[in-house]
Amino acid sequence: MKRRSLLAGAAALAVSAAFAPALAQFTPTQPIELVVHGGPGSGNDVMARQMVTIMEQEKLLPVRVQVANKTGGGSTTAAAYMASKKGDPNTIAIYTVVWVVDPLTQEAAQNRLTDLTPITRLVTEPALAVVKADSPYKTMGDFLKVAKDKPGTLKQSGGSITSRDNIVRQLLMKQTGGNWAFISFPGGGERIAALLGGHVDLMIMDPSEAGEQVKAGKLRVIAQIGDSRLDAFKDVATLTEQGFKIPDVPQTRGIVGPPGMPADAVAYYEGVLDKLRQTAGWKKFLAESQLQNVNEKSVQTRTFLTAYEEQLRGILKEAGAKVVR
Amino acid sequence: MDIADGLLHGFYVALQPTNIFWCFVGCLLGTVVGILPGLGPAATISLLLPLTFSMDPAGGVIMMAGIYYGAKYGGSTTSILLNIPGESSSVVTCLDGYQMARKGRAGAALGIAAIASFVAGTVGIVLLTLVAPPVAAFALRFSSPEYFALMVLGLALVVLLSGPSLIKGLLALLVGLWLTSIGTDIFTAQARFIFGQAPLLGGIEFMVVAIGVFALAEVMANIDGGEESQMLPVPRGLRNLLPTWEDLKACRFAFLNGSVVGFLIGVLPGAGGTIASFISYGLEKAVSRHPEKFGTGVPEGVAAPEGANNADTGGALVPLLTLGIPGGSSTAILLAALIIWGIRPGPLMMQESPDVFWGLVASMYIGNVMLLVLNLPLVPLFAQLLRLPTYILHPFIFGISIVGVYGVTGRLFDTALLAGFGLLGYIMTKLKYPTAPLILGFVLGDSMERALRQSLMMSQGDLTMLVQRPISAVMLALAALVLILPLLSYFNRARVRALAGG
Amino acid sequence: MQKYNLRNSDVVSGAILAALGAYIVTQARFWNYYNPDGPGPGFFPTWYGLLMIGLALALIISTAMKPKPQEQRKDWVGTRRALITWLTFTACVAVMGVLGFRLSFALFTFLLVAFVFQRTLVTAALTAVGATAAFYIVFPVLLGVQLPTGWFGF
Repeated sequence: MKRRSLLAGAAALAVSAAFAPALAQFTPTQPIELVVHGGPGSGNDVMARQMVTIMEQEKLLPVRVQVANKTGGGSTTAAAYMASKKGDPNTIAIYTVVWVVDPLTQEAAQNRLTDLTPITRLVTEPALAVVKADSPYKTMGDFLKVAKDKPGTLKQSGGSITSRDNIVRQLLMKQTGGNWAFISFPGGGERIAALLGGHVDLMIMDPSEAGEQVKAGKLRVIAQIGDSRLDAFKDVATLTEQGFKIPDVPQTRGIVGPPGMPADAVAYYEGVLDKLRQTAGWKKFLAESQLQNVNEKSVQTRTFLTAYEEQLRGILKEAGAKVVR
Repeated sequence: MDIADGLLHGFYVALQPTNIFWCFVGCLLGTVVGILPGLGPAATISLLLPLTFSMDPAGGVIMMAGIYYGAKYGGSTTSILLNIPGESSSVVTCLDGYQMARKGRAGAALGIAAIASFVAGTVGIVLLTLVAPPVAAFALRFSSPEYFALMVLGLALVVLLSGPSLIKGLLALLVGLWLTSIGTDIFTAQARFIFGQAPLLGGIEFMVVAIGVFALAEVMANIDGGEESQMLPVPRGLRNLLPTWEDLKACRFAFLNGSVVGFLIGVLPGAGGTIASFISYGLEKAVSRHPEKFGTGVPEGVAAPEGANNADTGGALVPLLTLGIPGGSSTAILLAALIIWGIRPGPLMMQESPDVFWGLVASMYIGNVMLLVLNLPLVPLFAQLLRLPTYILHPFIFGISIVGVYGVTGRLFDTALLAGFGLLGYIMTKLKYPTAPLILGFVLGDSMERALRQSLMMSQGDLTMLVQRPISAVMLALAALVLILPLLSYFNRARVRALAGG
Repeated sequence: MQKYNLRNSDVVSGAILAALGAYIVTQARFWNYYNPDGPGPGFFPTWYGLLMIGLALALIISTAMKPKPQEQRKDWVGTRRALITWLTFTACVAVMGVLGFRLSFALFTFLLVAFVFQRTLVTAALTAVGATAAFYIVFPVLLGVQLPTGWFGF
């Protein structure tokens, strides 16, 4: 079923490309496939389904959108799937930073995000540096001082070595000369449990994860990772304000198309996503999940991602990860 | 609000006609999802999530939770009938459940599974109601050394799962450990044993291994064994399709064991129902008066893991509701759903959203009764499935296996792997290597390696921390006991024989 | 008469597992055994690989030392049937990307029923069509579970 529609779409595309290249004004006539690299229930999957629901409620598209979970190897399976859809205007995907990192560190992950067609950047995810409420560290400076005086005794819980948690740690260690261990846990729940149980000293956390725990007096925020203070945490200073100026490595998500996606299709999706940003439902979703809106078109997104890749390459090398590309 | 008031209020919420209806819908969907491999509770909840946003949060979360625990009820059905685990937590149920079915006792096994699920599921909720906060505090004392000790204890069970040749059992376990380390190492981003295949970067999906090694290998062994017109005998008469009083009496301890082990392991984030069911099965066998009969179709061997798997639900909700910590993929999606509804699970949930909190807890009591009523009448019906002639049933099993794998991952690559694991399982059966230890190694190996490495990172390379911490020391001692006891009895027997001979 | 019992499935499988262990250990040599932070990716595989070699050798030795059991006549007919089934299944999976689930599964069922179970061609054809239709109705139609599709769009 799906394949037939895609074939028809590709055929229609070929016809339109052959006969009226300049005049083409893309409007989808086939169901659109929205590819997600996480399994059902993962953060991106929830975001994708939220997007689809809002688009259908607000009738932003003339056709249906189907979420397709292409899991496996971080982003690799999904990226390979997108690469195989060369020129197809009916397939789009949600990318995250993982799509940039995987090709840098994995020989087998061959499809770089910049080889595909970035359409827009949708959100950035702010982050907070959090300690347990009864911890002696009131500011990032307190923590970093101990990290320098007694290197190796402090611990931070986080995800994979290539995650933002570790990148921020590497940058801070390099700037301040301190040293502490980074302990990987695959599940978000395990990371927080390790912090709440007092088995580690620091965690870099989404504000939506931290909010309730902070309110209940279990955790304390000692710094904000982003450039500006979040509304929900107005009285906590950012790293920069505390005197630790490290390069900003935003955790970002957006929409990408297959390689060689026609320009009119890109323009069409840019328009649809602009309308999405205006909807009340999307604004509410961003507020509930504490995500920050980003307005970027295809060209700016590509520029951003290219620079971002370059920056990450350097940081990952310093973090001790093997960089293959 | 104290517990009695809270629960009373909860029943007031849960017994609203609309909420009873949503609870029923959730349980029904959960049962269907559980029975059919390829549909998981996490995926189903995620698919239905957008539809529930217009609903009242209490009704929505009652339905979502119904899918979650209903799926665990249904998971045992295909395990028992066809040796195909319906959910990853029903793998252990295959060991004795399928053997019971082979003896013509499929109905009894299904009945035991439903009753064990009901009893242990309810005990899990009672514990959730009464002791959630202190148990959550206890769970937080578990850190990597304790997890490591728990995994060692689990792996020690290999002694009990190996059958006649311990060496072969251990070798199968090691192959399981190897298979589970395929993929990207989370600590260093190093790809291991991927043979240049990008799809292997994320590791091998558990269901691919379990279905291949259990279900496909079994079908091939059946085909090898010669053709009978009907795969398994099914007795006539309704009475012969239900568990007997003796069955239930044999399961007394299993109900208790499954309830407690399932709840306690469920509380630990990152452990989960599969590990709980293995440990509960091992414990049941270790204390049994006739351990040699396990694996040949004893009802306790069904009751213990099925019970543990369902008590796990109550356990897993403890950290979710009291700490806001999801322990696995199903609870993670429940958390996401709650957040989108504007409810924040965590230490304050009981005060901020008493309707949702107590309504959910109360609805689970009701849901468990519904599931029992829903499942018991289905038992004779499902047992009839085995009346199908083999030439229809066998292609059917192959088809279900494909759907079970492709439905979970959406990749043809995994169906090819499935064929490979089917062959591996068949060869192992032919050469008399036990397959359960391979699955055990696959389930526990990854967590064990991770916990060990985390422990050593935390202690800066000091291994003694594993025995200095009381909880981990106790569990390691238990593991040593499990490993040593069979050896002692072996030497004892040898000595007796030598004395008698001399 | 042979002194050691070497032509034995346990010895052969033991040798294969020892080789697998050796492969694991050599692969693990390429990865860090110990990082500054803690054990590296090579740590765990090295140990279970070595254990595998040890146990496999123990299996070989203990089997080889045992007296040769009475020669049992093996029934290769059943094994051949099982392997034919497996090959058919593997072929079905291999062509699934081209033919899609419905066509390749129907073909597989037909071959299995007709040649492994040796029913009449009519029975085989009916079973194939029936089983495929049942799967199609339950999974994609009623439950919305996607099944593999091929080049022809189904």
